Amino acid sequence: MGIQFRQVSYHYPSGSINFYPAISDISLSIAAKGEFIAIVGHTGSGKSTLAQHMNALIFPTSGEVEIFGSVVSKRRDKKVKYNDLRQKVGLVFQFPEYQLFEETVEKDIMFGPINFKVPVEEAREIAKKAIVMVGLDESYLRRNPFNLSGGEKRRVAIAGILALDPEILVLDEPTSGLDPQGKKQMMELFKDIQDKTGKTIILITHDMDLVYEHTSRVIVLNDGLLVYDGSPDALFKRDDLAKYHLNYPETIRVLSAIKERFGVDIDVYQKDAISAANVIRLVMGQ
Amino acid sequence: MSYIEIEDLSFSYTGKRKILENINLLIEQGEWVAVLGHNGSGKSTLAKLMIGLLDPMSGSIKIDSTLLEEETTYEIRKKIGIVFQNPDNQFVGVTVKDDIAFGMENLLVPRAEMLEKIDFFARKVGMSDFLDKEPASLSGGQKQRVAIAGILAMQTKIIIFDEATSMLDPYARAELMDYIRELHDEGITIIMITHDIEEAMLADRLVILKEGKIHADGAKKQLLGQPEVFETSSLELPMAIRIAGMLENNDDKLKAVKEYLWEFSFDR
Repeated sequence: MGIQFRQVSYHYPSGSINFYPAISDISLSIAAKGEFIAIVGHTGSGKSTLAQHMNALIFPTSGEVEIFGSVVSKRRDKKVKYNDLRQKVGLVFQFPEYQLFEETVEKDIMFGPINFKVPVEEAREIAKKAIVMVGLDESYLRRNPFNLSGGEKRRVAIAGILALDPEILVLDEPTSGLDPQGKKQMMELFKDIQDKTGKTIILITHDMDLVYEHTSRVIVLNDGLLVYDGSPDALFKRDDLAKYHLNYPETIRVLSAIKERFGVDIDVYQKDAISAANVIRLVMGQ
Repeated sequence: MSYIEIEDLSFSYTGKRKILENINLLIEQGEWVAVLGHNGSGKSTLAKLMIGLLDPMSGSIKIDSTLLEEETTYEIRKKIGIVFQNPDNQFVGVTVKDDIAFGMENLLVPRAEMLEKIDFFARKVGMSDFLDKEPASLSGGQKQRVAIAGILAMQTKIIIFDEATSMLDPYARAELMDYIRELHDEGITIIMITHDIEEAMLADRLVILKEGKIHADGAKKQLLGQPEVFETSSLELPMAIRIAGMLENNDDKLKAVKEYLWEFSFDR
């Protein structure tokens, strides 16, 4: 189960002669449980296009995507319930708070379940659970989303997707625009959701520090091609990331600069400031 | 007298909870000031007050000796321009050309002069080839450059960047920062609203807002030496300075590394 991409290509605009490929010949497999994946690549590399295939929001130009047993390809198949796939894989867009529109947080979170024909009372119960899951308390349900802070609004929007109880959660740039504290809390939230539910979480991001510190698998796209699929540790040990327009995590950059400046043999692959300080002491200290 | 004088400025949307409280800030011509603060600290509200998009509850703002009030808003906007976070929110025209022209049209710039300026400033931001394109077809970084061309064409002496890079990828962001550096070299006063310390490292002076008040205001180097200022306002120090702060002072080699880490942060 989970999601399998088999030689998937997608051309913009779909079906036109003057098309350009957004993604080309992508094959990969995502487990339904327990993965924490980052999708990275420069703007226009095809990250969002790839993500939109994961819940049949768009259809491949060629190849096929299997989503929890249902095959999605160029031709619509009357037997496949595409809407159900959108429940299985929840997609949270960039700046999802812009899409809040109801007058209470509760109504906003209930919107999705009700769309999927869940009875109102049940949807209300679901909203209660979802708001707690994103780290806010039930009193928020009665509040107007427009009076919340940016970070709170984003949590409410994520609760709206969690209310559909997706197996896999895909988030497009979930930390952009948040201050350092908000960023940290958002990552703790994802870890917490994963610990409690085991759901696979997929983040699209530009933040290599976050990728290095938090995820267990990275998918790198470059000009629509899959150029890396593996652990973040092995990725950042490569010395050719500039050709994919990727930066190195800040800890590696700082420690590499020290290594060069002082000519010392230092293990630059540290994930946070504390372990970075420790290796410096180890090599430079008495 | 300072170029920008903000005196006892307070603001509230509802009359109850104050978003900004007793802000006092003097900014000189040609300065590059980063206004840092957590989400909800009031930093974007301050930007909106400075260009007259919001009215203060009390206090005053003077720009180049003109007091900002309803009658002078027009005058003030010839002096101060703003680039917002989301480039999609600032486009009004059908083409890039229309967009660059928009601000000048409001200032009633004669047509011939306007066309000349559109060409000049589009070239300056590297967007000459895009003048007849729809803004919607541009990338985020290109959109921000068009927005900047529109502001430059009005030839304001002060530009506020209100989280202008937060929707850009790292490359577009670095490009925009280089460009802001050029503007600063030309003598434009830069006010950068951000919560990204790496970005703020390009400024000369940091103003830190916390819960609507000025929490700290000083030269970059001086404030970076006070980690508690950042810790108490939900902000982070640059990684290299954070690491430096953890190293001991009683060892010559470690001291040398510490010094180097500071250098590293300042030379980015």
